[in-house]
Amino acid sequence: MQPRDPRVEVVLVDDHRMFRSGVRAEIGDLVDIVGEAPNVDAAIEVITRTRPAVVLLDVHLPGGNGNGGVDVLYGCRGLETASGQPVRFLALSVSDAAEDVIAVIRAGARGYVTKTISANDLTSAIRRVADGDAVFSPRLAGFVLDAFGAAAGEIAEVDEELDRLSAREREVMRLIARGYQYKEVAKELFISVKTVETHVSSVLRKLQLSSRHELTAWAMGRRLL
Amino acid sequence: MPTPYERTPGAVETGAAARRPPRRMHRPVEGRIIAGVCAGLAEHLGWSARMVRVGFVLLSLPGGAGLVAYLFLWALTPQSVGGAVERDDGRVPVDPARPEGPARPVDQAAAVVGGASDEEQRTAARTLLVGGGLLIVGLVVVAQNAGFNLRLGFLVPLLVIAVGAVIAWSQLDDAQRGRWLGTPDGPRRFSVARLAFGGFLALTGLVIVATRGRSLTAVWDIGLASLAVVAGIVLIAAPWGLRLWSDLRREQAERARATERADIAAHLHDSVLQTLALIQRRADDPAAVAQLARAQERELRSWLYAGPSGSDATLASAVAEVAHEVEDVHGTPIELVATGDRPLDDGGTALVRAVRESLLNAVRHGRPPVSVYVEIGPSGVEAFVRDHGEGFEVDDIPEDRLGVRQSILGRMERHGGSARVRRLEQGTEVSLALPPLPTNGAAAPAGSVPTHDTTPPAEASHATP
Repeated sequence: MQPRDPRVEVVLVDDHRMFRSGVRAEIGDLVDIVGEAPNVDAAIEVITRTRPAVVLLDVHLPGGNGNGGVDVLYGCRGLETASGQPVRFLALSVSDAAEDVIAVIRAGARGYVTKTISANDLTSAIRRVADGDAVFSPRLAGFVLDAFGAAAGEIAEVDEELDRLSAREREVMRLIARGYQYKEVAKELFISVKTVETHVSSVLRKLQLSSRHELTAWAMGRRLL
Repeated sequence: MPTPYERTPGAVETGAAARRPPRRMHRPVEGRIIAGVCAGLAEHLGWSARMVRVGFVLLSLPGGAGLVAYLFLWALTPQSVGGAVERDDGRVPVDPARPEGPARPVDQAAAVVGGASDEEQRTAARTLLVGGGLLIVGLVVVAQNAGFNLRLGFLVPLLVIAVGAVIAWSQLDDAQRGRWLGTPDGPRRFSVARLAFGGFLALTGLVIVATRGRSLTAVWDIGLASLAVVAGIVLIAAPWGLRLWSDLRREQAERARATERADIAAHLHDSVLQTLALIQRRADDPAAVAQLARAQERELRSWLYAGPSGSDATLASAVAEVAHEVEDVHGTPIELVATGDRPLDDGGTALVRAVRESLLNAVRHGRPPVSVYVEIGPSGVEAFVRDHGEGFEVDDIPEDRLGVRQSILGRMERHGGSARVRRLEQGTEVSLALPPLPTNGAAAPAGSVPTHDTTPPAEASHATP
């Protein structure tokens, strides 16, 4: 990662104060935490006021319409930072449930990591999201492979197809599921880190836009459609 | 309604056997002329069937008494099942305990739930009803003949109301409903019909009583007026009724929620609170604390998110199990990702054992994070175990160390799969592969350890030739 002069501005949304202070202690020196919020309504207010580059968003939150992080994402639609970049969201959760993951991603989050992530990994994930790239945890990658039928051998004929992954995207997802960092993926596939990021972003786009029935079913279960 | 008399079916059987109930009359399916009443009676009494039949005909000739008796017996005698008599035919001296209505002890018909079988009870109740009805009719006829004015025009509607009410109210009693409508198919429809019929009877009786001796137009006017009153009452009472109903529903939902909350509280108490107490007690041992927390987290997670697909007999769940086991023993967190699933077979078991061995190596010699990725698809199974330690080369392992060579490489090859160990820039990765399920296992290129520079697409094609 290239060094960045201004530290990334981050808002921390989580209903557990202990967790918020823990994250603040761990990454407070590496990023600029400009605000915290314990629930949906406070989160929307703080994010609208501070307009950070990245929001660290817990999936399960009290308040709003009862949909947690999804409500925050809808409430902050179209917000931009001072420099004209959209405010980006990185979901942070203890939940493994596929419908939770898919709900926040489809509502617009740029990535999904679990709360057991190390401070260094979290910092680099935040930077990556701030740059407009996507961040996938191994678990999310595994879920994507499953949901798109890639593990079962379904491969898109053309890259633009929304309901299936391309062969290259499948390989990238497989390596991420195996615990590889982006630069390890790049080395493994003999491509640049930038290309890996492009593939991951494209998978994220498919995840958000695809009408593949598994995804739709989960989204319907959460009453998002 | 549970009564102290209630017994299990087995107990009923033994009780019945000990008491040896009197033989019941049945109408045989074979050898009958009309409905088998005479044949059944003849068999029951040990008389000749011809004699009985002649007797019935003779009785019917003057006043029709024989006909009534025939119908009565027809209604009350069960047909023998499958040609054979239901009861055992022990030579019990036949006491003519004729099913003569009130002659049957009342408690037998209604109260003793445990003593009599369902069929017996039904017959008894029917006997009681029909017998009672006949008795009343007989009494009325006798009284009328004797010169008393019983005001039949008033009595009959009253009777109709009573019968209708009994039929309708019998729906309220669960036991009753079970006895009367215990048919396996369509009991609900029948029950509704019965309710409607009962209500209709009672209403008709009421109307007759209320409009006795008036002209048809007057009855019509009264009917309209009553209808208007009823409609008004319904209109006014409806909101109250609805309110009451919704209150009831809400209360039920609340009770269900409370039960659920109690369940959750009980579970949290048994698991999380206990573990928290343990953690406080062992606060000076970070490894133990981490291990406890991790195990508890996993337990809670599986409780919260476990889907219906929780069978132990699948490959994915078996891998998850060994990952958790290694995690518990060594206290190193293992990130497990699995896609797809398939039943556990011999090859799968070998793969699970190899994964376990690889994980043990990873937590002993490598450094966390340790991750497992298992991909189970139609083109075979691939598993990857990765750590972030120094890494090692297979060739550097001394010949006498059997762990990797035997438990991982050898085992996979014996089961038609393949395995290889790669040294990454940071850490080691063990890759295991199994051929797909339906094709026979020998199809895979056993013993082919791919070279280090193959890219994953080539690797996938390697596992599925």
